[in-house]
Amino acid sequence: VSGAGRRVVITGMGAICALGDRPEAIHQALCDGRRGFSAPTIFPDSVAPGVQVAEVRDFAPQTYLDGGNIRPLDRTGKLAAVGVQLALSDSGWTADLRRERPLGLILGTMFCSVRTIGEFDRRAQSAGIEYASPMDFSNTVLNAAAGQVAIWHRLRGVNTTISAGAVSGVHALGYAAQLIRTGRADALVAGGVEELCYESFWGFHQAGFLAAAGSGVPVCPGNSVPFDAGRTGTLLGEAAAFLALEAESTAKARGARIIGCVEGFGTAYDPDALIGGRGGPNAMALAIRRALANAGVAASAIGVVSASASGLRAQDAREAAGIAAAIGRATPVTAIKSMVGETLGASGGLQSIAALESMRSGLVPGIAGLARVDPEVLLTVTSEARPLGATRALVTSMAPEGNCCALALGLE
Amino acid sequence: MDSRARVVVTGIGVVTSVGIGVDEFWRAILAGHTGISPVESFDTSRYAVHLGGEVKGFHPEAYVRRLSLASMARASQLAIAAARLALDDASLSANAMDPAMVGVSFGTTSGEPAMIERFNDMELAGTRDRVGPEFIAQYPCHVIAAHVASELGLSGPNLVIPTACAAGNYALAHALDSIRNDEADAMLAGGSDAFSRITYTGFARLGAIAPVECQPFDKNRRGMVPGEGAAVLLLERLDRAVARGARIYAELAGYGLTCDANHMTAPQGDGATRAMTIAMADAGIRPGEVSYISAHGTGTAVNDRIETAAVKQAFGAAASRVPISSIKSMLGHTMGAASAIEAAACALAVHDDAIPPTMHYETPDPECDLDYVPNESRHVPIDVAMNNAYAFGGNNASVLFRKCRA
Repeated sequence: VSGAGRRVVITGMGAICALGDRPEAIHQALCDGRRGFSAPTIFPDSVAPGVQVAEVRDFAPQTYLDGGNIRPLDRTGKLAAVGVQLALSDSGWTADLRRERPLGLILGTMFCSVRTIGEFDRRAQSAGIEYASPMDFSNTVLNAAAGQVAIWHRLRGVNTTISAGAVSGVHALGYAAQLIRTGRADALVAGGVEELCYESFWGFHQAGFLAAAGSGVPVCPGNSVPFDAGRTGTLLGEAAAFLALEAESTAKARGARIIGCVEGFGTAYDPDALIGGRGGPNAMALAIRRALANAGVAASAIGVVSASASGLRAQDAREAAGIAAAIGRATPVTAIKSMVGETLGASGGLQSIAALESMRSGLVPGIAGLARVDPEVLLTVTSEARPLGATRALVTSMAPEGNCCALALGLE
Repeated sequence: MDSRARVVVTGIGVVTSVGIGVDEFWRAILAGHTGISPVESFDTSRYAVHLGGEVKGFHPEAYVRRLSLASMARASQLAIAAARLALDDASLSANAMDPAMVGVSFGTTSGEPAMIERFNDMELAGTRDRVGPEFIAQYPCHVIAAHVASELGLSGPNLVIPTACAAGNYALAHALDSIRNDEADAMLAGGSDAFSRITYTGFARLGAIAPVECQPFDKNRRGMVPGEGAAVLLLERLDRAVARGARIYAELAGYGLTCDANHMTAPQGDGATRAMTIAMADAGIRPGEVSYISAHGTGTAVNDRIETAAVKQAFGAAASRVPISSIKSMLGHTMGAASAIEAAACALAVHDDAIPPTMHYETPDPECDLDYVPNESRHVPIDVAMNNAYAFGGNNASVLFRKCRA
C-alpha cells in the first residue's frame, strides 16, 4: 500500500486569519503566543456579551484581488478567493499557466455560507419571496465558495467541496493528495474556508460548545485552552488556508520551489460519537495509523504533531488518547486554536501551514495559555515555543460528530 | 493500492417520489409514472407555482433503528433509508463486512435546510433563545454521512461532497477512488436532499420552475420541478463481490469532473464536454461504445440546449445514435440526490438492458435534436451507460457504468 503512486509536493501556501495574512507572520505570532480574540464586530456583541471571537479584522479583499467585481462573492467566497490567491502567487501558478493547464480546487468547509443561506430565507419569509435575491440564491448552495473562486481564478479542473465538519480542511487536503498521487490531477489548490457569522456563532453558543457559555461570567480566552485542565469550551475564529499541491514531476518541470510534501493521509469515523458512546476503538488512533501506513513511515519518524484540540473537554481528551496510542507520549504536540480560534473548515489548512513553517524555521509554537495540563492528557505539551529539528509532522483533525483525519507532512 | 482495481455496484437503495426500493422505483420509471404532486411540506400560496416532487408515504421509523428519529432531520432519514435498502438489496448486512473498512460518501445540495428554516422562524419571531443544541447537531450537511455511518456502525472514510446538483456523481467518484486506494473495501455512495422552501424560493425567483410538467428537451419546456429523494449504491471491489457470489449490477468504470469557471448558474458546455471526454478516456471507452446517456436534463431552456450541444461535441458522429433520456421528467429535480438516483437508473439499465423514457415529450426542438427516448421505455442491449450531472458553481460530472464481465 505504502508509497505507491506519484510523490505529492507542496509548492505554495496561502492563509488569512486573525493573526495575519502571511505564513511566516502567522507562525511568528503563534510562536509569540499572540491571541487573535476580541469582541465581535461582524454581529453585535450584545448577542452574547463577553464572548470573544477571532475575526479577520478590517478584511479588505480588494487589496488582494485585482480587478473584477467582487460584489457577487459573500464573505466566505471572498475569504476563499484571497486564501487561494495567496497560495497561487506563492506557488507560481500564474494566470498564464492556468490558461494552459486546468488547475483544480478541493475546498473544505463546514457551513459554506450559512449567513447567506439564513439571510436569503429570512428576507423571503419577512418581506416576501419577491424580495429574495437571485444573486444571493446562487451563493446559498454549499459549493458556492468553490464555484466563485473557480470563476475568479479561472480554475477549470476538478472542483470539489468537502464537508466533514471541523475536519473538512484536512479531508480536502488528503483527497487532493490522493487525486495527484493516482494521476487524476497534476496540480490542485486544496484547503478550506470558514467565515464567522451570527448563525453559526449562535448555534454553537446555544449548543454549549463555547467556552463558559451560559455561565453568565464574562468569557476570557483563558478557559478555551486546548488540553488545559481548566478548559470549558472553544472560541470561534474565521480563516481561509490553502496549499498548492502538485505531482513532483510537474513541479520540477516548471522549476517550482518545493516547500515540502504530503506523505500520507488517513481517515476514520467513530460510529459511537453521535450517541455519546466512548467505549469503542479510538477513531483518531485509527486515522493516524492509516496515515502512517499510507505514508509508509513509522510513528517514531514523526517529529511534531499539530492537534485540532480546541478546548472542548471530552473531545480534546479523546484526541490526546488517540495521539498517545498511535504516536506515543514523547513526541511534542502543539495546538493553535487558543490563538486563532476554532476556524472549522479552515483549521486543517492553518494547522498544516503552521506545521510546515515550524519545520522550516526550526521553532514550534507552544499552546498559548496552557497553565495546568489536564491529567487525562498524557502528551508532551507546553505553553512556550520550543526548538524543532524534525522534518516530518503530523496534522490531526477531529470533530465531535466522529470524523477523524490525519495528514503526514514532510519538509523538503 | 491498485489504481485500476475494478469496482462494481452490488446493491441499490432508492427513496423517490415514484417509489421506495429498487423494484418499485425501476418499475415506475420504466412505466413512465410521474411523482409530481401539490407541495405539502410548506404553504405555496405566495408562489406562482405549487407543484413539487415530494416523497409521500415515507416512514423513516422503518429504517432508523439505532439512532433516535428526533436526533436528525429529513435528508438524513432519507439517506439512512436508502443505505439500508442498498444493503438489503445486496443481501449483505453491515456487519458481514469489516465495519472499519466500509465508508460513506454522500452528495447533497442543501444538507438539512429545515434546520436553518426553523432557526430563521425563531429569529423572526424574536425567540432566538429557543434555538437549542439541535441546530449545530442536525444542520451542517456532513451530518448526513455521519448519521448513516453511525446508524450502521461503519468507521471507514466519511464525508459529504456538497457540489450542488451534481453532488451524487462526485460522491460516486470519491467512493471509487477510496476503494482503489485501499481506504475502504466497500463504500455506500449516494445522495440525499430534502424538499426545502429555500430551494423552492430560489428557483421560483430564477423563474425556473415549470408550472405543470417537467418536459426535458421539448420545444415548449418551461423549466424544472424541485423534488427530493435519496439513492445509495453499494460499491465493492469486483474480486470481493465475486468471492461472496454477489449479484452485480454493473461496473463503475470511470469518471470525469470539470469546472466551467465562468458563471455560477449559466452552463457553458465546454466543461460538460470535457467531463464526458475525460470519463470515457478514464474508462477506456470510445463514444461509439456508449449505449445510453442519462441526461442532466432539467427541463430548463438553457440546460437542455447546452447539454445537447455538449453531447454532440463530445460524441461527434456517434451522438445521433446514442439514446438519451431524463428521468427528471418523472421525479423532478431531486437536487444533490438527482445524479445518485440517475446513477441507480444507469446501473439498472446496464443490468436489465432497458432505458427509462423522457416523459411529457411532445414537440421536437430544432436545437435539441437527439434521440431522447420519448414517452416510452426501450428494451435494447446496454453495454455502457453514461450518467451526466451539472451544477451551480459550473460543476460538471460524468460517470460511466459498464456491463460486468468477469
